[in-house]
Amino acid sequence: MQFSDRVTGLFLVALGGLAAYGGSRLPPVPGQQVGPDVFPMVIGTGLCLCGALIALGVGKSFEEDPEDETLSATEVQSGPPDWWRGLMALIPPGLLLFYVLTVDRLGFVLTAGLMVLTTATALGARLRLAVPLAIVAPVLVHLLFSKLLRVPLPPGLIPMPW
Amino acid sequence: MSTLFEAIGMVCQTDVLIAILLSSIYGLVVGSLPGLSATMATALLVPVTFYLSPIAAIATIISASAMAIFSGDIPGALLRIPGTPASAAYTDEAYAMTRKGQPEMALGIGLWFSALGGIAGTISLMLLAPPLAEIALNFSTFEYFWLAFLGLMCATLVARSSPVKAIASMFLGLLVSCVGIDNPAGAARFTFGSVDLLGGIEPIPALVGVFAVSEVMRAMLTSEPPKLPYRRFGSILAGQIALTKQYVKPQVRGNIVGIIIGVLPGAGADMAAWVSYAMSKRFSKTPEKFGTGHPEGLIEAGASNNASLASGWVPALLFGIPGDTITAIAIGVLYMKGLNPGPTLFTERASSMYALYIIFILANIIMIPLGIVMIRAASHVLRAPRAAIMPVIVLLCAVGAFATGNNLYSVMIVAAFGIIGFVMERNGYPVAAMVLGIVMGTMVEQSFVTSIIKSDGSILPFFERPVSAVLASFTIAALLWPLGAWLWRLRSRPLAQ
Repeated sequence: MQFSDRVTGLFLVALGGLAAYGGSRLPPVPGQQVGPDVFPMVIGTGLCLCGALIALGVGKSFEEDPEDETLSATEVQSGPPDWWRGLMALIPPGLLLFYVLTVDRLGFVLTAGLMVLTTATALGARLRLAVPLAIVAPVLVHLLFSKLLRVPLPPGLIPMPW
Repeated sequence: MSTLFEAIGMVCQTDVLIAILLSSIYGLVVGSLPGLSATMATALLVPVTFYLSPIAAIATIISASAMAIFSGDIPGALLRIPGTPASAAYTDEAYAMTRKGQPEMALGIGLWFSALGGIAGTISLMLLAPPLAEIALNFSTFEYFWLAFLGLMCATLVARSSPVKAIASMFLGLLVSCVGIDNPAGAARFTFGSVDLLGGIEPIPALVGVFAVSEVMRAMLTSEPPKLPYRRFGSILAGQIALTKQYVKPQVRGNIVGIIIGVLPGAGADMAAWVSYAMSKRFSKTPEKFGTGHPEGLIEAGASNNASLASGWVPALLFGIPGDTITAIAIGVLYMKGLNPGPTLFTERASSMYALYIIFILANIIMIPLGIVMIRAASHVLRAPRAAIMPVIVLLCAVGAFATGNNLYSVMIVAAFGIIGFVMERNGYPVAAMVLGIVMGTMVEQSFVTSIIKSDGSILPFFERPVSAVLASFTIAALLWPLGAWLWRLRSRPLAQ
């Protein structure tokens, strides 16, 4: 997930270009000097400029990332290869997507249980911890949000008694 | 006077007091766990605040954030891992003190001066906000445009990364705020035919993604922090009064710097701590002692980060411009609770504002006993394995986002912004600048377009009105600063070699 400044800079140039182009195609509003197209175009141009500067390495001398020291110290040194660990990082957003896709069919408690189980095992928990957690945490969260806060969580396959 | 009594009455409601107590405990626990920041603690609280009374909702945010900023010092002092980014500046110093056999002293300083700093910040809020509100009552869209613009520039100036990347992050945030039909023309922008995107991208799910999901993603790549050995502490507060008397100057300086940084939009507690620690070292009579477990820097930076919390509410309450990432969330809650930010808040809802001050003071007072309990329980709390906490965070992100709008689209936003935040942070793009862009994009555009319509297309009024002219010159100076600094470096480099 770590790219060179050249890559991120060029990405921003492309994004800015698209934003400016998309903005320029918006219709003007009669009687309004500054229409809806102006802001996206300004932002797009700004992004393009910044992206180009970043790709060229301008402003790099200002970077002093103190957080990096503490982060890299705790980073896993051995273990699976980089690309695998990179994929591991996609587990949390992937699980959120899984939630969106399945919660209406499977119901909250079951979906949540699977999410907790996956995250816990991915972080290296033994089943002795992960399984009870996957049972208790969804039920407690359901109790809190559905009963106390009245959030309509879908019942699905395992409806809760409350 | 009657407003004050009314305010006391508002705070003394049972639900408000319970909210303060529970959110304080929550803040202490979340703040002390490495990787879980104060902003994340606040973001995850938002769905709960929906169902509370307005004052109780604000109380939960204030007390949870204040406690979390203090309790981030605990793992910093005991494990050399900051619990929140706001403690990172002085973690080495605090840990050095623990190694010297004085963990009580390090934690005591964190607690005592955090509380004092928080109270100093509250006093600044009480003193600054009402007179500023008087002035702000005369503000028109021209001034609001410059204020919002200046706020955006501030966020890029104070970021601890390359200013170009900070500006790029801000533009990204502004681009996000363009999505939807919530613009002066009511045109559907960047919706790609999606009905959900017509409503735009709400800041709160985006914040939850950037601050909570990306943190869990990061946890996937790092190893578990070491376990804390059980230890018994002596008296936590012993000697703090003596230190207060001995280090008056650093403490006052820390408070003032914290207050100033808090007021600046986008710069929050972590920035305040870094600046104050560096300042303490520069002005100290004994700079060589820094890093060896010397109390001076700890006092100054510990006071500073808590002071910045309260003063961050000044621009948030007056103009709807967040002073830091925590108030960026708080603004959303204020709108939801009918306490729309603006100078009239101080005239029409004065009792609510007094209640807010009282909650701040109260939170900083109960921080001391609760903090002592937390320090003593830290060995137990910090033993909780990460594999048990992170799954619950993911779950709360999903349910919390769903609860903000009762639709699954918010959950997708959370996931998307988790990835965006993660990639940005890895590549040195400050996420706080993006957050500010998301929160303030609409305000910048709205005030600009309204002003242009009012002035019939002329941009002169942007510079003619007195306050507007002053704000404009500040903004232009802020715009030119990175360029100037770059040129200056370029010139001074050959001399240094």
